[in-house]
Amino acid sequence: MAPPDDNLWYKDAVIYQLHVRTFCDSDGNGIGDFRGLTNKLDYLQELGINAIWLLPFYPSPLRDDGYDIAEYTSVNPTYGTIEDFKTFLAAAHSRRIRVITELVMNHTSDQHPWFQEARSSRDNPKRDWYVWSDTDDRYKGVRIIFLDTEMSNWSWDPISKSYYWHRFFSHQPDLNFDNPAVREAMWDVMKFWCDIGVDGFRLDAVPYLVEREGTSCENLPETHGVIRELRKRLDQAYPGKMLLAEANQWPADVRDYFGNSDEFHMAFHFPLMPRMFMAVKLEDRKPIIEILEQTPQIPENCQWCIFLRNHDELTLEMVTDIERDYMYDAFANDKAMRINLGIRRRLAPMMENDRRRIELLNGLLLSMPGTPIIYYGDEIGMGDNVYLGDRNGVRTPMQWNGGWNAGFSSSDPERLYSPLISNPVYGYQSINVDSQRRSEHSLLSWTKSVIQTRNSFRVFSRGTIEFLSPSNHRVLAYVRQLGEEKVLVVNNLSSSAQAVELNLQSYKGHIPIEMFGRNLFPRIGDLPYLLTLAPYQFFWFRLRRI
Amino acid sequence: MAEDIFLGDDFLRQLMSVGEVDLLVALPTYNNAGTVVQAIQAIEDSYQQNFVRDRVVILNVDGGSTDHTTEAILNMNGRKAGAHRGITSLRTVHRVTTQYGRTPSQGLALQTVLAAADLLRARSCAMVSPATTNLDPSWIANLLKPAYRQDFAFVAPLYARSKFQGLLARNLLYPMSRAVFGLRIREMYSDEWGFSGRLATNCLGQKLDEAVRARPEAWMAVTAICTGMKCCQSFLGPKAPPTSGPDIVEAIRQTVGNLFWCFHNFQDHWLDRTGTEGVPTFGSDHELMPEDPPASQDKSFELFRSGVKGMDTVLPSILTADTHAQIRQIAALEPEKFRFSSELWVRTLYEFAASYHRATIARDHILQSLVPLYRGQLYSFLLEHGQSSPEEIEADSEGLCLEFERQKPYLIERWKAKS
Repeated sequence: MAPPDDNLWYKDAVIYQLHVRTFCDSDGNGIGDFRGLTNKLDYLQELGINAIWLLPFYPSPLRDDGYDIAEYTSVNPTYGTIEDFKTFLAAAHSRRIRVITELVMNHTSDQHPWFQEARSSRDNPKRDWYVWSDTDDRYKGVRIIFLDTEMSNWSWDPISKSYYWHRFFSHQPDLNFDNPAVREAMWDVMKFWCDIGVDGFRLDAVPYLVEREGTSCENLPETHGVIRELRKRLDQAYPGKMLLAEANQWPADVRDYFGNSDEFHMAFHFPLMPRMFMAVKLEDRKPIIEILEQTPQIPENCQWCIFLRNHDELTLEMVTDIERDYMYDAFANDKAMRINLGIRRRLAPMMENDRRRIELLNGLLLSMPGTPIIYYGDEIGMGDNVYLGDRNGVRTPMQWNGGWNAGFSSSDPERLYSPLISNPVYGYQSINVDSQRRSEHSLLSWTKSVIQTRNSFRVFSRGTIEFLSPSNHRVLAYVRQLGEEKVLVVNNLSSSAQAVELNLQSYKGHIPIEMFGRNLFPRIGDLPYLLTLAPYQFFWFRLRRI
Repeated sequence: MAEDIFLGDDFLRQLMSVGEVDLLVALPTYNNAGTVVQAIQAIEDSYQQNFVRDRVVILNVDGGSTDHTTEAILNMNGRKAGAHRGITSLRTVHRVTTQYGRTPSQGLALQTVLAAADLLRARSCAMVSPATTNLDPSWIANLLKPAYRQDFAFVAPLYARSKFQGLLARNLLYPMSRAVFGLRIREMYSDEWGFSGRLATNCLGQKLDEAVRARPEAWMAVTAICTGMKCCQSFLGPKAPPTSGPDIVEAIRQTVGNLFWCFHNFQDHWLDRTGTEGVPTFGSDHELMPEDPPASQDKSFELFRSGVKGMDTVLPSILTADTHAQIRQIAALEPEKFRFSSELWVRTLYEFAASYHRATIARDHILQSLVPLYRGQLYSFLLEHGQSSPEEIEADSEGLCLEFERQKPYLIERWKAKS
C-alpha cells in the first residue's frame, strides 16, 4: 500500500531521523546498511512514524559524517547499492512510510570530481563551479561557523594556487550558485532521486548558497532566488515532493525561506528547541511563549519542523549569551559535553533519565504546532558517549537487544563503526528495543501510544494554537483547534505538583475528555477550570460539546 | 504574629501561582501612584540585570490607597525579551498585589510580606519604599545579595548622606543601639532593608507589639542580632531627602519608642554584653557629603527651653535629680553659649530608656518628654558643627558613640535600679 496521495502529507508526518550506518548491519561488517534498515521497517511502522529522514548515505570520505559528498547520485558502497536503496524505498512506501533524503547543496567534499576538476587548472570548465580568490580578504567579516576547527572561511589550494571559499570545514568547498551550470547540476541530482521515488529533501546549510561582498553572505536575496527556481521546477515535474530547509536562524529570518509558498514547504524551528529544554529546567513557560510570540505566521501550506534532539549538537546559536550560559550550566557542566556552540548529548541523559521529564518533552514535541522529528534511539531513551569526539557520541549503534553487539551487527565488537553504549544506566543490556517491547509501561510503549494518539487527530498537525495565560507560570497550556476539533493541552513544567485555574470561558459547555485514558472530566462552566497536575504531568483533552 | 494574619483568597491564589521563589522584593504603598511605577521598573531592572536565572517576585502590599496606586501597577506592561539593553530574565518576573487593610500600617504591611515570604519560601527579601525617588536597580541587588549569596539574615543599608541629613540617627539611634546591642549597624531605621527568608519565618512566629509596628525594621534587626543571626551593611548610594515625613514628635515616637521597646523586650540579650563589634560591609562605607548649614535653629532652642520649663514636674519622674538639674542649668544659658555635652546627652538618654523600661510614667509621655531635649541637643550640634567638615563631624559622632559605650554600665545600673 503506497502512502496516501496528499500533497500536504508533510504536515501530518511524524518523522524518524536516522543514519543508515547506525541502524542495523545486515552483512556483519560492523556498519549499518540499507538491507539492515529494510529489515527494521516493521519496527518503525509499529512505532507509528510515517516518514524517515535519512542522513547522507552517498559516497564520501566521511570527514563530516557524510555531509562531505563525493558523488551525489550513488550510494556509499558501505551501505549497499542503489538497488538496495530502491528496495528499501519500496518497502517503506508499502508501509505508508515516506522517505526524505539529504541534499547537501552548499558544498561538496574536496574529493568530489567536480572540485578535483576545478582545482586542476584555472582554465578548467569546472573552475567556476566553486568560489575562488587570489586573496583571502574577500567577504571580510563573514562569521566562521565551526569556530573550534576553522580559522578562516578561505583555504589555500596548493594545486591551483588560489584560495577557495568554504563556510564549513576546509575540506568542504562551497559550490558557486551564481553559475547556472551548478544550479542545473543540482536540479539533475534532485531529478535523479525523485525519479527513484524519494518523497522529499532536507536541504542542508541553506542560508549560505550565495556570497556577496559587504554582506554577511547569509540569507541573501540571490539565495532565495536559487531556492525558488528549484522549487518551481520540482512542483512542475514532481508535485507532492517536499523541501525542508535547514536554516539555523531566528524565526523572522527563516520565515523568508517559506516565501510566498514558493520556496520551502517546511523549515526547522531551531530557536524553539533549546527553549523547550530551558522551560522544563527553569520550570517556567516564559522561554517557550516568548519565542513563539516572535514566530511569524507562515503560508497555509507550509509547516515548521520541530525536534528535541538530532545528529548534531544541541545548537545554542539561536539563544542569548545569558541563555547559553544557563543551558551549559544546566545540561553540560562537563566541558566534554560541549562542542562548537552547543551540547552533544542525547535526550535521556540530558533529562537525567527521568521518565517524567522525557515524556513531558515528547508530549510538548508532539502537541505543539509543527511536524515532529524523533531522533533514532530516543524512543527507548538511549544514552550517549561524549568522549567519542565530534558528535559521534550521539551516533552510536541502535540498541535492539541485550545480546551480541546489541543486536545491531554480528561482527566482532572491535569492528563496529562505533563502540556501543555500555554503561550500567544506558548500556544496551538495560536499554534496548526487545526488553521495552515486553513491557506495556516502557518508554517505547509509551512513545508508540502517544504517537498513535497524535496520528489519530489531525488537529495536532494542522490545527491553530491559542495559548492560555494561567497565572501559574509553571503551567503551559494551549488549545489546538481545527474546525470543530479542539484539544486542550496542559503541561506542568515543574518538579512539584501544581494547581492551575484555566480561563476556558470560550469553551463553556464543553466536556474535556482525557485522550489517553478517555476519561471524562467535569464540564466547563462559568468558573475558572481547576486542574491539579503531578510533577511534570501533562494532559491532552479533547473538548467535546455533547 | 501568625495568628493575627488573615490572607485573602485572592492573595493566596496569586501566591499559589507564583510558587517557590528565590527572591522577593516588597513595596509597601499608600497613595504612591505617582512614583510606584518607577519603583517597580527599578526592581524589574535589577532582577533583569542581576538575577536573570532566579525565581523572583515583586510584592506590592497596599494600605488602602485612594489614588489608584494598585491600578497603576496592574496596568504596567511587562518588559519584552531583549527590549531592555538586550537583557531579560529567563523566568517570569511575577508581580503580586494585595491590600492588607484600609489604613496604612508599616507593621501590617510587613506582616503580610513576612507571610508571603514564608509561604513562597523566599531565600532573600528586600523592602523598598516607593517614596524613595532615586531608587536604583543596584540598591535592590545590594540588599538582596548578602542574604542570597551568603548567609546574612539582616541587611542594613548605608547611604551617602549630606552632612545634616539623618541627625536623629547620627546623634541618638545609631550610637545608642550600637552601645546597647554591641553591633555597629549604622542605619537600623530606614525605608530600605534586606532580610533572609529564615529571619522572615522567625519574625512571623513572633508577636509584633504595637510599639514597633510603625518602624518594624529595627525590630527585625534586633531579632536577628538577639537570635544569633548574622547582620551586615550594604552601601546603596546617595539617599534623596524625603519630600515629606513625620514631624519630630512622631519620628521620635516611632523610632525611639521602637528602640526603647526593643531594649525592654530583648534585655536578656544585651545586659551582659560588653563592647561593640563591626559588621561586614559590602561596598564602600557610608559617606557624608558637604552641605550648607541649615537655617537658624533658634526656634529649636526656644522649644527646648520652654519644654524643660514646662516639664518641670514630669522630668523628675524620668531623670535623676542630678541630670535634671544639669539640664535646667544649660537651659538657662544664652543661646550662643549653649552646649549640650555628650556626657549629659548620653546620661539623659540612658535615664529615659531605664524609665521607659520601668514605665515610671506612661511610656508615651516619656517619649514625648524626650522631644524638647532632643531639640536642645540638635541645636547644640548645629551650633557646634555648622561649619565643620564632614571629617570633623565623623570624628565627633565616633566620640559620641564611644561615650555611649563608656556609660553603658550606668544604663545597666539604672535599668536594674528599683526606682
